[in-house]
Amino acid sequence: MREAVEQLRSRLAEVRRGGPETARERHVSRGKLLPRDRVDRLLDPGSPFLEVGALAAYGMYDDDAPSAGIITGVGRVAGRDCVVVANDATVKGGTYYPMTVKKHLRAQAIAEQNRLPCVYLVDSGGAFLPMQQDIFPDQQHFGRIFYNQARLSASGVPQVAAVMGSCTAGGAYVPAMSDETVIVRNQGTIFLGGPPLVKAATGEVVTAEELGGGDVHARTSGVADHLADDDTHALQIVRSIIGTFERPSPGSLRQHDVVEPAEDPEGIYDLPTDGRTPYDVHELIRRIVDGSRMHEFKPLYGETLVCGFARIWGYPVAIVANNSGVNGGILFGESALKGAHFVELANQRGVPLVFLQNITGFMVGREYENKGIAKEGAKLVTAVSTSVVPKFTVVVGGSYGAGNYGMCGRAYDPRFLWMWPNARISVMGGDQAAAVLATVGGRDDDEEFKAGIRATYEEQGSAYHSTARLWDDGIIDPLDTRRVLGLGLQAAANAPIPTPSPALFRM
Amino acid sequence: MTESRLTKVYVANRGEIAARVGRTCARLGIEVVAADVASFLDAGALIAQARAWGADAVHPGYGFLSENADFAQAVIDAGLTWIGPSPSAISAMARKDKAREIAEAAGVPVAPRYDVEDVPGDAYPVLVKAAAGGGGKGMHVVRHPDELADAVATAGREAKAAFGDDTLLIERYIEGGRHVEVQVFGDEHGAVVHLGTRDCSAQRRHQKIVEEAPAPALSSDLRARLHDAAVALARAVDYANAGTVEFLVLGDDAFLLEMNTRLQVEHPVTEEITGLDLVEWQLRVAAGESLPLAQSDITFTGHAIEARVYAEDAYHGFLPQAGQALAVEWPTGDVRIEEDFGGTVTTQFDPMIAKLVVHRSSRPEALAAMLGALEATAFYGLTTNVGYLHRVVEAMALPGALIHTNWLEGEGAHLLEPPAEPVVPEVDGTPFGVADGWRLGGDPAVVEHAPTRRVGGRLFARRAGHTWEVLEPDPFDRTHGSGPAGDDVVAPMPGAVVAIDVAEGDPVVAGQRLGALEAMKMELALTAPHDGTVTHVGAAKGDQVTQGHVLVTVTPAEDRPVP
Repeated sequence: MREAVEQLRSRLAEVRRGGPETARERHVSRGKLLPRDRVDRLLDPGSPFLEVGALAAYGMYDDDAPSAGIITGVGRVAGRDCVVVANDATVKGGTYYPMTVKKHLRAQAIAEQNRLPCVYLVDSGGAFLPMQQDIFPDQQHFGRIFYNQARLSASGVPQVAAVMGSCTAGGAYVPAMSDETVIVRNQGTIFLGGPPLVKAATGEVVTAEELGGGDVHARTSGVADHLADDDTHALQIVRSIIGTFERPSPGSLRQHDVVEPAEDPEGIYDLPTDGRTPYDVHELIRRIVDGSRMHEFKPLYGETLVCGFARIWGYPVAIVANNSGVNGGILFGESALKGAHFVELANQRGVPLVFLQNITGFMVGREYENKGIAKEGAKLVTAVSTSVVPKFTVVVGGSYGAGNYGMCGRAYDPRFLWMWPNARISVMGGDQAAAVLATVGGRDDDEEFKAGIRATYEEQGSAYHSTARLWDDGIIDPLDTRRVLGLGLQAAANAPIPTPSPALFRM
Repeated sequence: MTESRLTKVYVANRGEIAARVGRTCARLGIEVVAADVASFLDAGALIAQARAWGADAVHPGYGFLSENADFAQAVIDAGLTWIGPSPSAISAMARKDKAREIAEAAGVPVAPRYDVEDVPGDAYPVLVKAAAGGGGKGMHVVRHPDELADAVATAGREAKAAFGDDTLLIERYIEGGRHVEVQVFGDEHGAVVHLGTRDCSAQRRHQKIVEEAPAPALSSDLRARLHDAAVALARAVDYANAGTVEFLVLGDDAFLLEMNTRLQVEHPVTEEITGLDLVEWQLRVAAGESLPLAQSDITFTGHAIEARVYAEDAYHGFLPQAGQALAVEWPTGDVRIEEDFGGTVTTQFDPMIAKLVVHRSSRPEALAAMLGALEATAFYGLTTNVGYLHRVVEAMALPGALIHTNWLEGEGAHLLEPPAEPVVPEVDGTPFGVADGWRLGGDPAVVEHAPTRRVGGRLFARRAGHTWEVLEPDPFDRTHGSGPAGDDVVAPMPGAVVAIDVAEGDPVVAGQRLGALEAMKMELALTAPHDGTVTHVGAAKGDQVTQGHVLVTVTPAEDRPVP
């Protein structure tokens, strides 16, 4: 595990450098701060930053777009938990690749679900034109950013933009649709069409600054509200704007005194990670919950699924964890019923759910099908789908098949979903897929065919493949599990918990 | 001369030196009173008060009239005992030109000297100084003939203001030299001894800030030559009482700077290594007694360091500060503190508020002890140089470091970069309120924590001698957006306008001097913020202005929109 963590850290360090060195040097030589420095100075000094999608686009686009050219996450600004979205102009001028769009939308979803103010640090040339068909036309494409801005605003989520570089074409709507907008003099520009387009369209020759610079927008057009001298000044102004927001009334979750786990969290590194060696998931739970203590529910029933109430960073949580130490952690009918019951309990009590996923799937076979495991699994999926409390999912091992559904996979809208570096995700394991496809195709003896399938599953099932495509919010160092859950819980506490409404459970 | 026991000493001074003299008097059972006058430069008022209060002796302290021969004579003429050298010795050494001649005759090495009117082209850099001056006031280094006239004018004005005499002396400026001085003592019976050396090279703008005794890194031969030269000079003027002979030491050469005919600010370091009370010696000598010890009985033990605490902003041109400290923390333990700080600093006097003195068995131990003492010192709500002193002492403690008199403004100029303000995060026990700079799977953001203390409802942070007020973020206290660079030249502190060089309508270029403000004994040049035209002059020469007063407005040459 420690090796996997080293690899994760080195990959993160790699993408955090941003674009090519020449681009970074050019950026800095213009008096601009690198985007991560902007984020650091925006945030309250020393406050943690829960970065989301740091490895987005990893291994995609010829590795031209580290972090998909945009930095997103949750951090504290002037005492308020905020979503931060910062373009990285050192990555292809901050233009939007498909994953950039997806990441921006994901950040807005986090803002919406947790009711967090949004700060956009804009420095982008707009859509990455060579890939326009994968960015522009569809429902979850570029236009959705502005749709979300309007909808977020309508729901009372404040949004502040600082224009610290280009803000061209559609991008111009980011500041234009924000509550308050800051622009940096002689650096930020906002226009629907840049000087080349203007010249082509009307023949007018105009400089970028005359067309849509800071002075123009702060004094003449009214597109921006505050004029800043430089990046640092702009960030100060953003901080002061956020500082004028009323602090949210006490959150929806009560924080009790924080108690560190009694068991050494580093023991997490000693848990088996090969996906085949079973272990008792209590070993993991004890290393992430306050005081290593849990009030376990039905400990003697459906033991492949461990359920219990505990606290993390003082916040109450309801933990649902696959226990590979018992029958490999496979979900049986009893496990599913127990899980459904417990998820309902958490909802009744308004306690956030934490799913620790390590699941190969539901039990198969005549006995189990005949006993109706499909309807027991459906109860768990129904309970998870209709739960109204904040949900968090950490994939600590495998995430396969319907187990992914019952254990709150991405499709079930957990507030955050993280993966450990060893985690694997696919509809089924590579061996099973190879066997099934070989049987269906009548090629049971075609080892080469099966090896090909296994190789494909091996690659596509990796955590890096997943995180590159934003199927999750990031790969985490397992030692940070408690930390990210704490941060996620605090973020979630900003949104009220609605009243649960029952769905139909097939009895 | 006959011995005449002193019964009541009048200290014609204030602050920590008045307290210092008072301490020894109290120990010796001598009554003591400190002056309470409108001006410590008013000899008549001082003497009248001394007599009215029934004093039989006057201790001048340092600064003010301590080296004024006329005052000494007036004290004697009033029938009082002058606790200091004779008026003739004072005046012999006061005029630097005369002092040079006596020194040369006594075989004391001096630096080459030039006439104001005739400085050879190859003599630069030269030092222009007030012939009547001391303590660095009115001293200017001139590196180029073109700058001489300006420097002479300014030095003359400052000398006139400080000493009432604008005669100047020009000498070769010896760069990179160390300031080493010898404490001497003479009595009225012809005995003269030295009490060893002090190194006072840590200077900013010719003002000593850290002193040590004995001076480190001197060959025994050079040390002996310095001792001998100092004693010879004292003998040449029949010196009786405490005096200091200052030298500039470069390599194995030494040049006389001047002789100070009074007790020095830094006398405590000598007291520490000799175990003697120099004020007591002053009183005894003034009373006609012989020196308590012969040269052979004087011994030196260990190493002592003094740091002068000033209310000044080292990171903004050493601007003197005024105001009130909400609270003060002094070092505890084996640290000698010379202070008479009442909590408030005014613009009326020199902004030195205290001296910290440590004495340890070796120089490294003394330096370490001084760092500890500075770390334990804090003035809340008042800007002081304590943090800067910490940096200077740290630099002195570096292996092989030997600070010379130009070091702080030369090689040591990096110490003048303001330190980063410590981050004092809001820590509230929530996951986002843990100020450890956590970043997902990466190195944490740099956060420097500093201990904090809440004083009078305000939060302060401390680190390495620096004290900062931690301002709670106030979104309503900011300038919205930005305007063009300010056109107004304002008074950076309260003071008197001593020159206005421009009139409305004058074209000026960026950086051009527009006038000068004198505040807290410093002359501050007012310079144009940018090229343009003077559109407003808000003060005249002689005006007393408050901080922030608009003195001159320079409207930029280019036409630009009104913000």
